[in-house]
Amino acid sequence: MAGLQPVSRDAGLPSTAAATEGRGAPPSLLLKASAGVVLLLVWEIVVRALAPEYVARPTGIAKVFLPVLSDAQFLAAAGATLWAVVQGLAISIVAGTAVGLLMGRVPTAEHGLRYYVNSLFATPMVAILPLVTLWFGYNADARLAVVVFASFFSMAINTADGARSVPMEFLEVARSFRARPMSTMFDVVLPSSLPYLLAGLRLAAGRALIGAVVAEFFVSIPGLGYFILYNSRTFRHDDAFVAVIVLVAAGVGFEAAIKWLTRRYMPWGRRG
Amino acid sequence: MLSRKNDWTRYATIVASLALGAAVWEIAGHMTSDAFWVPLSATLRSLEEVLRNGVLLRQAASSFELYLTGLAFGVAVGAPLGLLLARVAWLRVALEDYILMLYATPMVALIPFILSMMGFGFAPKALVVFLFAVFPVLYNTIEGARSIRPELIEVAHSFRSGEWALWRDVMMPYTLPFAMTGIRQAIARGLVGMVAAEFFLSPSGLGQMIMMGSQNFDTAGMLAAILIIVLLGVALMDLGRYLEKRFAAWRGYNP
Repeated sequence: MAGLQPVSRDAGLPSTAAATEGRGAPPSLLLKASAGVVLLLVWEIVVRALAPEYVARPTGIAKVFLPVLSDAQFLAAAGATLWAVVQGLAISIVAGTAVGLLMGRVPTAEHGLRYYVNSLFATPMVAILPLVTLWFGYNADARLAVVVFASFFSMAINTADGARSVPMEFLEVARSFRARPMSTMFDVVLPSSLPYLLAGLRLAAGRALIGAVVAEFFVSIPGLGYFILYNSRTFRHDDAFVAVIVLVAAGVGFEAAIKWLTRRYMPWGRRG
Repeated sequence: MLSRKNDWTRYATIVASLALGAAVWEIAGHMTSDAFWVPLSATLRSLEEVLRNGVLLRQAASSFELYLTGLAFGVAVGAPLGLLLARVAWLRVALEDYILMLYATPMVALIPFILSMMGFGFAPKALVVFLFAVFPVLYNTIEGARSIRPELIEVAHSFRSGEWALWRDVMMPYTLPFAMTGIRQAIARGLVGMVAAEFFLSPSGLGQMIMMGSQNFDTAGMLAAILIIVLLGVALMDLGRYLEKRFAAWRGYNP
């Protein structure tokens, strides 16, 4: 899975920058900023011209942005959603890594579990919402369960991929030194598959965030998803959109943090 | 290399694990209340019933219409736009960060806005599937375009290749494998979008079958519909992987 990601972002950047500057175009930062301004302007104008009064637009969002962000109820909602995501991810990291390592190194576990893990990974998490509410009730436990369901399988699959691709030499050295199976697993296989594990975590984090939001839509418990649902139903789209911005920021921030961690602490992880 | 004996034990393990799963499903169904879980046999009976009375076929067709419409628009917009951004470097530099941001946006969060602006009906639901599908295609196509080696374009230019020939012989073949990665992601995300739209906008299709099952305490009906969606998800993911692999070989001349 992880191996099929498109080439690293840095690959083409220097030539792009050189090409733009070579032609006397404005430097890219200015270009990006002005594109942002143009996009916001287009949004504002289109909404003003065509859409009803309540539809979110940049000036409206800017007006309510700080008041909403400093609202205690909103902060509680954001905290509840993000905390559920963190808790769910923690469960998935531990359980998913364990299952993934097992699947990657023990053929019987791999053959026995593969179909279940792969098909549940392919299952849209939205589809199991009614089942989860049957089991856990309409409460925060249901949200946590959905977050775990959303993130567990991508952790397991990616860790298994990593554990399977440990170089033979490493395992041979471990065997020559008569390493015990446990220490081979934790001192050789786990570090070697860490980059895969982190790729899985990036995927899992995005899915976990989506899982938390759909669970709140469905279960109607306080959180960012429910904040969006409630405010857009009462036609306060500007307020609701602030929650979307927070969600995007959380997603992008997490992604950036993992990328940085991989690059900084895992030099052996630079594949492709 | 796997020997024949290893092959045999592998199949035995797979069959045993599937049989074990079915047995656990059946026994768990008998041991718990019907509201929580029903045996596999009851689920299959319910599946047979909806298959016989045509409900499944009708609802699946409705779901597929929605899914394919959204996905088709997603690919039809995402891939050409990605190629355009590939060719026009300044536009790509200007927009790529915003596209990355939209790619990372959980699109489910926009469903309530779409609901209150566009109401019920087919168009808003197709828009949801489209939003789920378009950004993976766009993002990956741009990533592919970014990795086109400038030499290739220079060579094409030195041979006085026209703009159309350049697109046909360099740009499109080069970015296609990356676009396919995007299409694989779009195939999977589109399915999530489909079920989400059928749940949270106007109920229809397979999503409605799940909802009706859960509202009528017909757990067997709900599990049958979920089972269909799981199988659909697996089939679509395999299709996506096949497409991606089929064109991945073209990445060969990437250094």
